[in-house]
Amino acid sequence: MNDPILVVIFLRGGADGLSIVSPTGDADYLAARAPNLRVPRVGDGAGFKMREANADVDFRFHGHAKGLSELYGAGELAVIHACGLKDGTRSHFDAEDRMERASPRGGSESGGWLARWLKDVKPDGILPALAVGPAAPDSFMGVSDVAVARELQSLRLAPGHPYRKGVLAALQGLGGNDVFGSAINRLLSLTKSIEAKAALDDNGDLKSYMSAVEYPKDNELADSLRTVAQVIKLDLGLRITSVDFGGWDTHVGQSYQLPNLIDALSSALTSFWRDLGPLQEHVTVVTMSEFGRRLKSNDSGGTDHGHGNVMMVLGGAVKGGRMHGKWPGLKNAALDMGADLAITTDYRDVLADVLASHMKYTNADQLFPELKRHSVGLI
Amino acid sequence: MLSRRSFNTASLSFLLLSKLNLEAFSKDTPASTKILNRLTFGSTPAQRIALEKLGLEAWLDKELTKPTSDAELDRRLSEAKLWIGYEAGTDGKNHKWKKREEMLAYQYLKAKGASLIKLTNFEKSGMDWEERVRPAREVQAAAWIRAIHADAQLREVLTQFWHDHFNVNANRDEATAAFFPPYDAMLRSHALGNFREMLGNVARSPAMLIYLNNNESKASPANENFARELFELHTLGAMHYFNDKYTDWKSVPGVLAGQPEGYIDQDVYESARAFTGWTVGDGHWIAEGEDAPVTGEFLYTHGWHDPYQKRILGVEFLPNTGPMADGERVLDLAAYHPATAKFIVLKICRRLLSDEPPDSLVQNLSEIFIAHAKAPDQIAQVVRALVLSAEFLETPPSKMKRPFEFVASLYRATGAEMSNPTMDLHYQLINAGWMQHEWRPPTGHPDKTSHWANTNTISRLTAFAFSSLDENFSGGKFDALAIPADALKTTESLLEFWEERMMGTPLQVPQKQSIIDTVGENVPDDSNERQTAARTVIGLAALTPQFLLR
Repeated sequence: MNDPILVVIFLRGGADGLSIVSPTGDADYLAARAPNLRVPRVGDGAGFKMREANADVDFRFHGHAKGLSELYGAGELAVIHACGLKDGTRSHFDAEDRMERASPRGGSESGGWLARWLKDVKPDGILPALAVGPAAPDSFMGVSDVAVARELQSLRLAPGHPYRKGVLAALQGLGGNDVFGSAINRLLSLTKSIEAKAALDDNGDLKSYMSAVEYPKDNELADSLRTVAQVIKLDLGLRITSVDFGGWDTHVGQSYQLPNLIDALSSALTSFWRDLGPLQEHVTVVTMSEFGRRLKSNDSGGTDHGHGNVMMVLGGAVKGGRMHGKWPGLKNAALDMGADLAITTDYRDVLADVLASHMKYTNADQLFPELKRHSVGLI
Repeated sequence: MLSRRSFNTASLSFLLLSKLNLEAFSKDTPASTKILNRLTFGSTPAQRIALEKLGLEAWLDKELTKPTSDAELDRRLSEAKLWIGYEAGTDGKNHKWKKREEMLAYQYLKAKGASLIKLTNFEKSGMDWEERVRPAREVQAAAWIRAIHADAQLREVLTQFWHDHFNVNANRDEATAAFFPPYDAMLRSHALGNFREMLGNVARSPAMLIYLNNNESKASPANENFARELFELHTLGAMHYFNDKYTDWKSVPGVLAGQPEGYIDQDVYESARAFTGWTVGDGHWIAEGEDAPVTGEFLYTHGWHDPYQKRILGVEFLPNTGPMADGERVLDLAAYHPATAKFIVLKICRRLLSDEPPDSLVQNLSEIFIAHAKAPDQIAQVVRALVLSAEFLETPPSKMKRPFEFVASLYRATGAEMSNPTMDLHYQLINAGWMQHEWRPPTGHPDKTSHWANTNTISRLTAFAFSSLDENFSGGKFDALAIPADALKTTESLLEFWEERMMGTPLQVPQKQSIIDTVGENVPDDSNERQTAARTVIGLAALTPQFLLR
């Protein structure tokens, strides 16, 4: 295994970047946020101080992001703040759609950005692209050869069926169907390849995956990343994978929802990273979200849709342990529309850096039409 | 009144269907099967006969006016049971409860707010979580019985459509779970009715108020969640959201003439203010010495309302217009906006016809939607015109059945009984990507086939084709061998019986051959093996495009 691998984690719902990596000492932040929606500097739930941040603001990781703080301290995790989609949309679905296409609608470069990479690079291997979840996100829109699964087991057709051989042969006859034939063909070939690579138990099921570390329980992201680690270790030729992690739309009850979400993110990512062990050098993880949340909290214990946000990049070769990009501050005049964190780094610049440096992709400049690329200097 | 054009099309298709005796106009699927697969949860022999006998128009008019229930369905729902099981426990207030493990009849399908709200009270009563969320579980289970056995099939199809359109995740918390039965009943009763009326009911329903947080929205700042989704998902649609182009309300095309083509964030902010105070009677604190009544129904709290002037979609709202007037006016502006007509009609076409319906059809139907904006059967009129359009019959089946439809249609096609649908079945569907009544974001399940024709869903559908008729799996009842003795002679005769029963037409020769090859020409002697062979034949037939596409 030598080819680099990219893992994209999408935090759906608009994660509150001002809480994940929080400008705890900023007077405007203190003034705008209700006390229970701020990251404190002392006492219960105090944030983890960041060794090197790019502004004199006392940035801290959220008090439930111990794992992220440690990865940052170890120089493996980089933070890019005030980052995002420069378009003004505050709609989840519009913002997700634009971000995941990362190109103007209807142009020759239509489809999702991961799909365009796939089409251009045409990686071989059994399972080059995996969307973990019940369906593929729009970043894969426009390609048919992405595998979609929550667990590897479901990429096998009719396991344990008493007439399995005949069933598989009959299903082969459906491969020519315009609507679902390509998924059938993909499954037939995955069934064969996975069974050639992975061990089966007496019932004909895949033997359960023995991870090197224990993953947190009742944690959707951990379950997904566990599947990714399994696929990486089985050496199935994985190159890009998308993982969705939802629930970040904290219009109400942010003070109890967000700690759980951040804890889940931090603990799942840390376990995944440890589980990879020496394979870390081949893997880079990016986290993104459609937008950040409003600086000023609403009167029902939450925050509404905002603009700028934080992105994180985790990888062996990443220039981690520091904050990249320019911090615009939270003074009223510096805010987007007078309300939200402004964007100083286009999220595509972060993706392009990762594709160019980590994935050794030579056409990163062309993958995002209309982007005048500025390297963030991440890797 | 139908437009002249749709009237002509209507009589034409009636002629087509009666004179040509429902001649197959797509190669493999008879017309009646195709029509029924779009307008019901799957064609059955009895329905094919009814449709062929009545002709499309008369059949359709009957379907469009069927009530929400029928005696047979009521009997099934009253006889159905759903497992409840939990250990004895104690909560933080030292309330104790006993262990419970039993099959239990549905109790909450017709329950009202006042009894449901008791389930959300953690102060007064302690109970296991399963008791608190039981109302949602019952609706989730009953959805199977309705989809498979209800006589008012078209109404059920539309009810599912509106559940996705006005999505509420019943499983979000104990409150959305508790208030889900009245929400489901409300959508079903308005499914073929008037859009504005349904929208008004949605905006007042505790389930939606809680799901999109409007129950907590007060001045000030207001909570924007409901107001945003009202425009983006419920009415004008994201395709009419202009915020990336216009940040100044005066620059929105048409606004100065009183007809803005779309909405911007400022409309969302102002509408959020308009809905402050629209909440739920759940005993919450309002002000010093004042608590909300505990009704479990919609409540308007004037003390929470932001009464001052607003500007929404270019319309000036005067200050202090009186209780709920601001919110009602926003609902009027949104429901009667031409963009809403287009968005709703497009979605109906996408559900009942194809992923990319022709623009001309959407345009014609939008005009009908607008012309009948105040009619009690506005939605029925739109559906009627769609079904009687030339495009409806001309378009070949191109949509893959979504997981819920696939399983429901397999039951209907084979005549299997769905007696006591299990939560196991529900969780299996979640693995396939179908989260019945618990889709988390407010978008509802995607409709386009490109979302569903992926390896995960196809792999799970393959499994369902063979397993979902199994009683242990789903709580249904089915015997693949309870068929005439003649049909049991060979695999070929078995297949011929089931393909006729399931699709009303034979499969193609190579398809047949591959199915016969799978289990062998002879039917096994052993009755268990024979049952398995027959179910394999049925499963493979269900995976052919003739069954899987609609």
